[in-house]
Amino acid sequence: MHVLIVEDEKSLHQEVRQFLTQAQYLVDSAYTRAEASEKIFVNGYDFVLLDLGLPDGDGLSLLREAKENERQEASFIILTARGALDDRIKGLDLGADDYLPKPFSLLELLSRMQAITRRKFGLKRQEIPFGRGFQLDVTGRVLRHEGQEVTLTKKEFDLLHYLLLHKNRVLTRLQLGEHLWGNVLEDDSDSNYIDVHIKNIRKKLGQYAPTDFLETVRGIGYRVAEAG
Amino acid sequence: MRLEAKLALFNALSKLLLVLLGAVVIPPVVSRVAVAHTDQRLHEKMGEVLALVKRDGISAFVREEHSEAYADYNLLKQEYITLTPVASLPAGRPDAVRIFNEQRQVDNEIEDFRILGYTLPSQNPRTYHLEIGSSLATVELLTDTLRHMALWVLVIGAALTILTDAAFAHYLLRPLRQLIANKLRGVHHPSAFPYAPIQTDTTDFRRLDESLNEMMRKVQSAFEKEREFMSNVSHELLTPVSILQSRFENMLQDPELGHAHSLKIVDSQKTLYRLRNTVKTLLLIANIENEQYLREDKVSLQSVLAEVTNELDDRLAQRDLALRLELRPDYVLPAANHALVFTLLFNLLSNAIKYNREGGSITVLGGPHGGGYRLSVADSGPGIAAENLPHLFDRFRRFNSGAASPEGYGLGLPIAKTIAEFHGAHLSVSSELGRGSTFFLDFT
Repeated sequence: MHVLIVEDEKSLHQEVRQFLTQAQYLVDSAYTRAEASEKIFVNGYDFVLLDLGLPDGDGLSLLREAKENERQEASFIILTARGALDDRIKGLDLGADDYLPKPFSLLELLSRMQAITRRKFGLKRQEIPFGRGFQLDVTGRVLRHEGQEVTLTKKEFDLLHYLLLHKNRVLTRLQLGEHLWGNVLEDDSDSNYIDVHIKNIRKKLGQYAPTDFLETVRGIGYRVAEAG
Repeated sequence: MRLEAKLALFNALSKLLLVLLGAVVIPPVVSRVAVAHTDQRLHEKMGEVLALVKRDGISAFVREEHSEAYADYNLLKQEYITLTPVASLPAGRPDAVRIFNEQRQVDNEIEDFRILGYTLPSQNPRTYHLEIGSSLATVELLTDTLRHMALWVLVIGAALTILTDAAFAHYLLRPLRQLIANKLRGVHHPSAFPYAPIQTDTTDFRRLDESLNEMMRKVQSAFEKEREFMSNVSHELLTPVSILQSRFENMLQDPELGHAHSLKIVDSQKTLYRLRNTVKTLLLIANIENEQYLREDKVSLQSVLAEVTNELDDRLAQRDLALRLELRPDYVLPAANHALVFTLLFNLLSNAIKYNREGGSITVLGGPHGGGYRLSVADSGPGIAAENLPHLFDRFRRFNSGAASPEGYGLGLPIAKTIAEFHGAHLSVSSELGRGSTFFLDFT
């Protein structure tokens, strides 16, 4: 997967680049609108991560320009700190595939990119096998153990899914909470909702098979550890 | 009451007063005029009679030797003239002209007359008394006619002037009406203000219009500056937060990072998260107040509440809370922002969960209330002390209610209040310590 990061803020650019490189993406960089325009024209990308406030022009015009090119197959994700409402509407109208307001979580960015990839390649029935005999049916939103359905609440399902998407990474309660609650502004960051959810997931899954794949990392968060 | 209505009312009242005054004053004046007019005529007639007597001699009218009285009256008995011989001059003033009202019999009919009596200067051997009478019925007829005419002229004149005055006031005040309709009503935000000048040659209105435009331009420019400022601030503040957040995430992925440092990073992440939420809350409130959000959705409270409870189901279950939700009937906001209404109701319900006791209850009721619609969210939590209630919606004010109380009142309620106001709704609270709190959302 080939990604172009269009972002003039160098530190942020480097962090995103480092993260995506570790996640096995092939990353290209552009710091100005002109540079981005040229790279998009010359190279074929799967993803363009587009910051709207570029020093030499508006990111939205770049999106418009790119979308006029019919050979263009890149998916655009808009990253902006402007947070103005009309930008978002304009962005989605112009064919941006997703929109992440800054500050965003890199994990969230990664899972959005994975979701776009799945949509693009029409992976209809996506199932994630894990543990001993568990299957998470993402499209049907059902968890099965050897064909038998395990009942989870919506949030428990989302939480398990997110942990499975980021296998072998430690996810902090904050990162998990932000994924579950999205942009809802809350400042009880110490809430133990996540812990209760994990406890329930362990209890429900534990009736079918051991849940030792779901690890607690003391003081930090949780991780699904699996070989392969 | 509108200025035009006031002017018309005042006008009508003053005219009515004038008519009433006329009704009181005109009849006596008219009858006096009529009487004076009659008296004048009687005097003129007397003059004519005396002139005739002087020319032709008294003998032309009466035969002295027969001592007969002379009488003449017209066909309809409205007037008569008599010359009566009298024995001597009446006592007092001999040749005084007297005018008085009295009954007289004329040709077998008794009628009221206005009578002029005059005793002619002595014509030897007899003295004659002249009487000229004019029927009072005639006088009254004249009086009535005059009175009616005067009153009608007054009433019609008053009615006409009321109408013309009202029409003129209506015409004069048209620029003011336009000003109110176009520039004051229905302008909730400077961006919706029409700057086109109102057509008028009335200096006062033109000045008013110009001042309004001028003030609105200033307000709008202030709004625009604020908008630009907020946009810059959000960029300047959120970009470094974004950098730090990404950096912390990358650091946590580093397999060589020790546990102690990981803990520190998680802690920093929490601090950053708090900073981020503070900034985002301020921006959200500022952007709502600066009309940066659209109100273009029809939003049903019932369906938004369903979305909210769907999001909060797990939390309700975790705290073993019973939720009762009854909207009778549902209320649909005609022009609202769906995402903001969601945030508003989410904050109210999530507070009701946070500030509740284990195994408690939450009651959400909706229904018509005092001409509007009221949604109430009641919890069975510890309640809020009366002295804290006034500050509940203040931005970033926290109060101590024990170490066990969860944080969060600082942000959720000011946001809720701002969103409520953005939609023309009023958010209020009542609370009793130990019994719980109820938040009321009143839509009008």
